[in-house]
Amino acid sequence: MKPLYVLYGVVGATVLSLSAFAIFQPIKVLPRMNLAPALTLVDQSWALLTNEDMRGKIALYNFTYTRCVSPCPPTTDVMRTLQAQLNQFDSQGYAVRLVTISFDERDSTQDLQRLAQQVNADTTRWKFATGEKEKLKYALGGGFNLYYAAAPDGGITFDPLFVLVDGWGIVRAEYRTASPAIERILRDVQLVIGEARNSVGAGRYAYEAAHLFLCYPK
Amino acid sequence: MKRLSIFLVGLMAGVTLIGGTSFVLTRFLLPPNFHGMVMQSQQPACNFTLTSHYGQPVSLSDYRGKVVLLYFGYGACPDVCPATLVELARARATLGKDAEKAQVLMITVDPERDTQEKLAEYITFFDRSFIGLTGTPAQIAEVATYYGIYYAKHQEETALGYLVDHTATVMLIDKEGYLRIVYPFGTPAKDFAEDLKYLVAR
Repeated sequence: MKPLYVLYGVVGATVLSLSAFAIFQPIKVLPRMNLAPALTLVDQSWALLTNEDMRGKIALYNFTYTRCVSPCPPTTDVMRTLQAQLNQFDSQGYAVRLVTISFDERDSTQDLQRLAQQVNADTTRWKFATGEKEKLKYALGGGFNLYYAAAPDGGITFDPLFVLVDGWGIVRAEYRTASPAIERILRDVQLVIGEARNSVGAGRYAYEAAHLFLCYPK
Repeated sequence: MKRLSIFLVGLMAGVTLIGGTSFVLTRFLLPPNFHGMVMQSQQPACNFTLTSHYGQPVSLSDYRGKVVLLYFGYGACPDVCPATLVELARARATLGKDAEKAQVLMITVDPERDTQEKLAEYITFFDRSFIGLTGTPAQIAEVATYYGIYYAKHQEETALGYLVDHTATVMLIDKEGYLRIVYPFGTPAKDFAEDLKYLVAR
C-alpha cells in the first residue's frame, strides 16, 4: 500500500502546487500580444531608426503630428512626464526608449527637431521620427492598429495610442487613451524588465507558467 | 521468503504506477516547454496571398491544419538564410511520416532578383517540400512590415551583388492559423523539432 501513498502524494503535491500558482499568482507578466511591425523611419537627427535598433531595448511608442493643435490629444505631455520619471527609475541596466512617430507626411526633420526642443527631449532616450507614407500606413495602421485620417480642416484626426514593445519586438501593452496613468506604464516597464532579467534557467519555467495561467496585473 | 516476494512485487508495482503516472502527467497533461517566445495572440496571424515558386497564388490560410514555419530571406543570402533553412530542413526530417503536416514558407525580401526560377532552385535545395514566395515589392513590404521584418539593401556590393539586411526570426503558425512561437536566429534544429513534434500531433 505504501507505494500508492507515495503516488497520491506526488499527484497531490503537483496539483496543489499548480493550483497555488494559479490562485496566488506569485509572478506577474504582461501578455505577448503580437509582433510589433517593422519600422523604417528617419529621426530628428536625420538618422535611420528601425525596429532592429530597438532590439534588446524596451520601447514605448506614441503617435502624433507636429501641427496638431488644441484639442489635440496630449500624448506628448505624457511622454514628457515619462521622460522625467524614467530618469529617476531603476531600469536595472536595461535601455528604455521613448519614440514619438509622426504620421504626417508634411512633417520634416526640422519640424521633428523643433518639437523635440519644445518638450526638452533628451534625444538619447526620446526619439522623434517619421517615414514614407505607404510604409507608415502598413506599420501604424496595419501593425499597431492605429486609426488616423485626414480631417477637412487640414489636420489629422487620430485615436490616442501608446504601445509598449519588449526587446524581442513583441507588443506587451497598449494604452488606448490620451492620458494613461504614468504609474501603470512604469509598472508595466518594470514587469517587462523583471521578465527579461529573471526568465532564465529554472526561472523560465516559472515565467512560462505565469503566461500559461494568465498571471496578468489588474 | 514469501514476504520478501510480496514486498518485491509490491515495490515493482508501485514504481511502475508512479513512473507511469509521472509519464502521463508530463507527456499529456503538462504543457510543453516550447523553445522561442510563446505568443498569446488573440487574432489569427495576418493572412497574405503571394506567388509560389511554382507560379501559383498561395495564401497562408491554405495551410490551416498544418504547422507553418514562416521565414523571410532571399536567394543571394550568403550565410544567415542557408544556416536557418538547413536547421528547418533537419527539424522537418525528424518528423518522419508527420513531416507532411509541417510546411516551411520562405518569403523573399529581394523580389527584384528572386524570380520564380531562382527561388525554386534556391529553396528546393534545402528541402523539396519548402515553398518560396514572391510578389510585388509593395506586397512584400506590407507582409514583412506586419511580421516585424525589417529589410533594406545593404550599401556595399559584394561578389554576389548587393546584400539585403533583414530580420532573421522564424515564426511558427499553428494549425488554427495563430502565430504561436517566435524563434531567434540561431535556433537549432533540435529545438524546432521538439516543438514541431508536439504541435503536429495535436
